[in-house]
Amino acid sequence: MRDHHTLSVKLNSVVTSENEFDELVLRSLPEFLDRATAQTKRFLRDTAQWTDDITHEKLALRWGYELVERFLICGRTEVPCRPFFLLDSLIAKSFSQPDPLCYHKELLTPVGRFLDGLASRAVVSRDALMALFYHIYGLGQANVVRLLGFGQAESQRVYKNFERWRQSGWQRTMLETGISEHDLKDLEEQQREQPERLNVEVDRLLRLLQTHYRKSEPEHYPCLTGQKWGQLFSDDYGYDYRVWHLAFCHTCFLEVADRRQDELNNAEKPRVNLHIQPLKKGGVMALFGSERGGRTHGTARTQRLSRSTS
Amino acid sequence: MEQQELNDYRDQLLSSLEEHPSRTEEGRQGSLQIFVNHECVGSVDCVKGDSNYSFASRDRSVHTVELRNEAGVLVGGLCAPEAGLKNIRVPIKRGWVDIHIHNRIDGGSVRMHFENNPPWWSRLGARAAWSPFAGPHLLDRQPLVWRNFACAQIVLALGVVALLVDRVPDWLGSESRSSVLEQQLAAQEATHNQVERLQQQVAQLSEVQQTALKETQAEQQQLAHLSHLFDNVSQAQSKMAAQVVTTQEDLRSVKDSVVQEVENDVRVALTKEEENRVQVKQELLSVKSVNETLIKQVALLESKNRELHARLASTAVEVAKVASQQKSIAVARTESSKDAPSQMQVAEALREADPQAFLFWVSFQDGTSEKSIEDLFHEIKGTKKGPSNSGWYPVEVKLPKPEPPDRFLESVKRATIVKAVATSKIMPPAQ
Repeated sequence: MRDHHTLSVKLNSVVTSENEFDELVLRSLPEFLDRATAQTKRFLRDTAQWTDDITHEKLALRWGYELVERFLICGRTEVPCRPFFLLDSLIAKSFSQPDPLCYHKELLTPVGRFLDGLASRAVVSRDALMALFYHIYGLGQANVVRLLGFGQAESQRVYKNFERWRQSGWQRTMLETGISEHDLKDLEEQQREQPERLNVEVDRLLRLLQTHYRKSEPEHYPCLTGQKWGQLFSDDYGYDYRVWHLAFCHTCFLEVADRRQDELNNAEKPRVNLHIQPLKKGGVMALFGSERGGRTHGTARTQRLSRSTS
Repeated sequence: MEQQELNDYRDQLLSSLEEHPSRTEEGRQGSLQIFVNHECVGSVDCVKGDSNYSFASRDRSVHTVELRNEAGVLVGGLCAPEAGLKNIRVPIKRGWVDIHIHNRIDGGSVRMHFENNPPWWSRLGARAAWSPFAGPHLLDRQPLVWRNFACAQIVLALGVVALLVDRVPDWLGSESRSSVLEQQLAAQEATHNQVERLQQQVAQLSEVQQTALKETQAEQQQLAHLSHLFDNVSQAQSKMAAQVVTTQEDLRSVKDSVVQEVENDVRVALTKEEENRVQVKQELLSVKSVNETLIKQVALLESKNRELHARLASTAVEVAKVASQQKSIAVARTESSKDAPSQMQVAEALREADPQAFLFWVSFQDGTSEKSIEDLFHEIKGTKKGPSNSGWYPVEVKLPKPEPPDRFLESVKRATIVKAVATSKIMPPAQ
């Protein structure tokens, strides 16, 4: 109790060096996480978005975690400072932004949280951004390269993105989003029993998510007409534009996928086809447009996705 | 159950936070994504050695800058001030990134310089002599370079001396000189190698120090340039302040002079106006006096005119008398006299002197009533001689002797209902 009081006093006192900051923060991570979580809860209550259940508790923890993560990095540059005051100011600044959190009641279901976790990660991680094409539409790395019209150097980068996502990215995202094993099993069960219904649900939720998370896209990436997309591909520029925009804009994705059907070697038009687990190395995936959806439910047309075959 | 799940989730997040310092070291060093205000504005490939990145926003300032690797791990970042400059050096895997933020009223800008870690000797030199954004401390750091250089030389010399002290007694006191000679040669060679290595290291160190010195000098030059700029700016500010004061004084003096000028102009205008008024008044008085003079002259002329009228009437009476006396003489001479022109002149004179008959034609305005016409005839004591012809009425009046017919016709013309008047001498209208 006394130690706790002493620590609290220290956290309200001035820290004068970066080393002192690191040591103090490392010892006080639970305090910081609890403080950030409590302030997130207060924000949700104040904005009439709070309900007493485990989903909301997890949501507050997740957002508190993201705030503390930023505090750990940015706080070192603000030394000398009072750690608690600095954390409070960072949180206040974050919540003072317009629409700071992606909160929607329909995103509190397992599938909603799963998609929200993927999209929020894709905003900050190129690995997750690339993996979105697989998780939402079932496009493997080779088809992503073809869809985006990348050259050799960029395609190597895409393969590395998929590799890292497979190795650690997906796992970390699930962990940090609070998707438990139970949630994943529940999702996979839904996918087995009612894949079409699940995909319709994903299609609906996707628009909610993209409306929020496209705000992190650069402002000069607007939607383009089919003709301009065609020009962008034929003139071979705007690689980042293609990745960012097509991953976060369902309409443009369908437009481009439709135009680049020949490059994709696919007879059917692409559509939403949820994949829960990451693409496995050397695995066999169903091409988008399969009858039941899901990586284990492909129809006749399949594609080998190992690096050697792509 | 739920509480347990929640606690597990919290513990997982705490574990993830605890391993955060080590996480920044993982992953591919190559590409870093740059987020400004939580928006991805670009990426930089750090594999290609030192690289730069810059971003500018015209409509809003920069609040936060974050660096994330492709896995999304936050490896660096800072919060920007509301306005002004902020320079930070952030360590990343095997390198550094210098972040310069400049926020203004009309937006903000970010400049980044990614620098891969140099070899150990370069780091040593850099640690000794170069510190980013040190500013005034640079001058304090400079002796440290020379101190390190001197220390290294001393250590090298001590090593050589120690080796010699260790080996020389053996060279002198040994009985088996040949084997010892070989050992000595080997040792000498090893020592020589060590010395060469040390010399190489010293040379490298001196190169590094030279580089560091050059960088320090460049920094000093930049500082001097900056201080020169500051001086210029401060001079410009003082000049500006002086100009402001001068301008204010000028404005004040101009204001006073303008007021005085306006007052003078008004005064002059009022004076001139007053003079004009007096002059007009005098002119009016003179006009009035001239008018009175004219009135007197008119009255005088009228009285003279009346006298002339009376004289004319008396003259006409005398002429009539003379005419009646000569009438009989003229009749008597008519037959005998062959001078017809003179008889005709006399007859004409008689006819003109006859007050009985003056016939003229008059026409009236359209719409004039017969009563008005009759009233006019009654007024001029005229007699209507026959019916009207094309609007012309023949009228006969008896004029008094002194009144000439033209004056009478003029008076008839002045009547408002009369349109035109004609006499028999001129032409009978429309006959």
